[in-house]
Amino acid sequence: MYLQRLVLTNFKNYDWQSLELSPGLNCFTGLNGMGKTNLLDAIYFLCIGKSRSALTDAQLCRHGTDFFRLEGWFQTDDKLVQIVAKVQQGKRKILENNNLQYANLSEHLGLFPVVFIGPDDTQMLTEGSEERRKFIDNTLSQTDPTYLRCLMTYQKVLLQRNTALKQFAERGAFDAGLIQALDAQLAPVGRYIHQKRKVFAIELEALVSLIYRHLANNEEERVQSRYCSSLQDTAFEDLLARNLDKDRLLQRTTAGIHRDDLELSIRSLPVKRFASQGQLKSLLLALKLAQYRYLENQKGLQPVLLLDDLFDKLDAPRVARLFQYLQSGSFGQVCITDTDAARLEKIVQNLAVPLYHYQVQNGSAQLQNSTL
Amino acid sequence: MNFSSKLLEEAVQAFASLPGIGRKTALRLVLHLIQREPQHTERFVQSLLRMRQGVRSCTVCYNLADSELCQVCIDPRRDRSLVCVVESIRDVMAIEDTHQYRGLYHVLGGVISPIEGIGPEQLHIEGLIQRVAQGEIQEVIMAVSPTIEGDTTIFYLSKKLREYPVRLTTIARGVSFGGELEYADELTLGRSIVARVPYQTDATSL
Repeated sequence: MYLQRLVLTNFKNYDWQSLELSPGLNCFTGLNGMGKTNLLDAIYFLCIGKSRSALTDAQLCRHGTDFFRLEGWFQTDDKLVQIVAKVQQGKRKILENNNLQYANLSEHLGLFPVVFIGPDDTQMLTEGSEERRKFIDNTLSQTDPTYLRCLMTYQKVLLQRNTALKQFAERGAFDAGLIQALDAQLAPVGRYIHQKRKVFAIELEALVSLIYRHLANNEEERVQSRYCSSLQDTAFEDLLARNLDKDRLLQRTTAGIHRDDLELSIRSLPVKRFASQGQLKSLLLALKLAQYRYLENQKGLQPVLLLDDLFDKLDAPRVARLFQYLQSGSFGQVCITDTDAARLEKIVQNLAVPLYHYQVQNGSAQLQNSTL
Repeated sequence: MNFSSKLLEEAVQAFASLPGIGRKTALRLVLHLIQREPQHTERFVQSLLRMRQGVRSCTVCYNLADSELCQVCIDPRRDRSLVCVVESIRDVMAIEDTHQYRGLYHVLGGVISPIEGIGPEQLHIEGLIQRVAQGEIQEVIMAVSPTIEGDTTIFYLSKKLREYPVRLTTIARGVSFGGELEYADELTLGRSIVARVPYQTDATSL
C-alpha cells in the first residue's frame, strides 16, 4: 500500500499543489517554514483522518480562506482508492472513500496505517504518561476497531463520572446508584483496553529491544518497557469501589486505564531521568519503528513511514545506522524532510529504491530529481 | 423582505420563530390566513390558546394529558401489567404509531447525562419506582435510545428496580427492516449476530 498522488487545496501554506509520489522514497527539502512538514501532515491526515498538530481542523485552512481539501490516491494490492478530506469552517468534517462519505470517521482509521516520527517526539519519553498512552492508543486504534470504540466509550463515561463527582461536591449530595451505573459501564470497556494494552506491551518490548540494539550499536544496552496499570492486580470494579471516597474528595476518577503508563528503561535505569540525549533519540526511533513493525504484522501491509526533520537532531552515525536498518528490513513508502538537500542526497544516493526529490519553497513543491 | 404593513411583518416573524419554518413559508401561511375569512383565524388562534392553557402532564406517566390522567392511562383496554419507559413524548407517539403495543407508558423526560446537567433527580424516576412499588406492574420495557447515556439510564433504573419482582426487558437492537446487511454498520451487525433470535414465522415477526 502506498500513496501515489497527493493534492492539497488551501491546506496550511499551500494554495494548490499536486504531487506524484514514489512507492519507495520521497524526499522533501527546503528551508524552515517553507511547508515540508505540512506535506507530511497532509499525508498523515489522509491516513488517520486528523492532523498530527495540535491545531483544530479549521485552523489548518490557508490563511484568509475558510476551507481546505486534501485528496490522496492510495494504491493497494489490487485497486486504486481515492480518499478525500474536506473541511469547511462551521461545517462537519467530511471524509470520502472513492466518493462514498464515511458515516463515521472511525471507520477510516486503520485502512491506511501510518507512522510519523517528528523532531519533538522525544517528549513522549521524558514528559508525563499521557503521551505514552497516546502512542499505545494510536497504534491499537489502527489495528483494532473495537479498541477504538471502547476507548471512545471509556472517555465519554469517564467525563460523565467526573462531572457527576463535581456536581455531588458542589451540591453536597451523593447518589451511589448513579456512580454504580457509570462504573458498570466503565468496567467492561476498561477491562478490554487493559487486556489489549497488556498484550501489546509485551510484543512492543520484544520489537523495541531488537531495533534498539541495531540503532544504538551496543549489545549491552538492554531496553525494557513495562506496562504499569492499576488494573494489573485488582479487578476494575473493585478498584473503582475502593477509590470512591478518594474520588469524591478529589472530584475526579483517580484509578483506571486513563492513568496507565509505559515505563521505559535502559540498563534497568528509568529513561525519564537517566537517559542521555543520544539514548533518547535512539529509543524514540526504536519505539516508532517497533510501532511500524507491529502495524505491519497486524495489518499484513506496510504502513507509510513519515520522517520529519530528523537529521538536524541526530548525529551522523545514528543517521547511517537508521538508514542501514531501513535498508536491511523491508519498508514500504517512506517520506523524509530535511533542510539540507545536499546532505540528504548524499545519504540516500546509494539506496536501491525508486526515489522522488522535491524542493519545497513557500508552499510550493518542485520536482528536482527522480529515479523512477 | 419589505412589507407594506407592520402587522403583517409581525405575524410573519411569529410564524418564522417556529422550528422548520423559514421566512418564505411564514409569509405563505400568513397570506393564506388573510385570504380566508376572519373567523378561520379566530378559531385557529383559539385552538392554540386552549391547547396551551389546557394541556398538562399526566400525573402518572408524564405523557401529555387534558386532565389529571392521559388518554392512555384512562383507557380500560390497556394492559396494566406492562410499562414502557421512554425518553420523551415523541417516543410515545412513535411507539403508538406501530399499533404493536397495548401497555402503559412512563416518560422520563430525558436520559442521565451529568455533562448536560441532567442527573437522576431531573428525570421522572421516582414516579416510576412508586408505580412499580404498587405491585400491579409485572414487566418494565426499557425503550431508551441505544446511546452511552441511554445505557447509563437503563443501568441506573435496573438497580433501583432490583428489589421489586418485575421483569426488566429492553427493546431489541439490530438490523432495521428493509435494510441490507452489507450496509449495516459493523457494531449493529455484530450485536445482531451475538444477540440472534430463534427463527419464527408467525405474523408478528413479519
